[in-house]
Amino acid sequence: MMRQREFRVIVTFSTTTDAMAMESYCLSHDVAGRLIPVPSAISAGCGMCWSAPSSQRENVDSAVKAARLRCEGVYEMLI
Amino acid sequence: MSKVVVDARGEQCPMPVVKATKALQEMQEGMLEVHVDNEIAVQNVLRMVTGKGLEAKSEQQGEKHFVITAAVNGALAAEAVPSCCAPMGGDTVVAIGSAAMGVGDDVLGKTLMKGFIYALSQQEVLPAAVLFYNGGASIPTEGSVSLEDLKAMEAQGVEILTCGTCLDFYGLKDKLAVGGVTNMYSIVEKLSKAGKVIKP
Repeated sequence: MMRQREFRVIVTFSTTTDAMAMESYCLSHDVAGRLIPVPSAISAGCGMCWSAPSSQRENVDSAVKAARLRCEGVYEMLI
Repeated sequence: MSKVVVDARGEQCPMPVVKATKALQEMQEGMLEVHVDNEIAVQNVLRMVTGKGLEAKSEQQGEKHFVITAAVNGALAAEAVPSCCAPMGGDTVVAIGSAAMGVGDDVLGKTLMKGFIYALSQQEVLPAAVLFYNGGASIPTEGSVSLEDLKAMEAQGVEILTCGTCLDFYGLKDKLAVGGVTNMYSIVEKLSKAGKVIKP
């Protein structure tokens, strides 16, 4: 059984520390999603990003603001 | 020498192997030429052909065009055709002995390990087994963010095994949420029989 791909919102940050701070905020505030390596389609470089179901985009945007983090980019893609 | 051409480009696994096998069964002697469009199909067909005692070679002729050729002389070895849908890279074992990846900051190390397991689960070629021991034993347990990735790999045939002694030591015996419990004999056997061991 292959893993089901789905559209997800991807938020990238300029530093790994910010990405980890996003994870910490989201876990403590029940914001859906998880930290994953930045997909190669977005960047060939290294780094972590926050990935959540597309339906959670508003919550994710709010979380970025509430956590006072500056995101580098927000994407929606099939992963 | 006669030549039999099998064009399996655009065919999904296991069709390239199925078609090549059928062609081989109908051949007494000659040259078999199999065209496929991806590297995994090349490996699967090569494994099947060499498993029958034939010499084979592959050549890339385009971005998505590979040709495998094999000379057939007389009776073929009656070996079973290897399953091409088994976990690919079937002799690779991933051994995870810590909750963190690398040495340095533990929080960063745990983040990296989560990323490693996610990326591992996304690979087209999956390992045969993933072994967890010592600090790594916490990863396949309840509450771990890597459970989804491990369950997805297990569903695709990857063995997920965790050291029972370690689960016991860390009080996690009742918390194992994916895969099975293993012991040191099995861990040693899997590592020693592996074609490749990956230790993140």
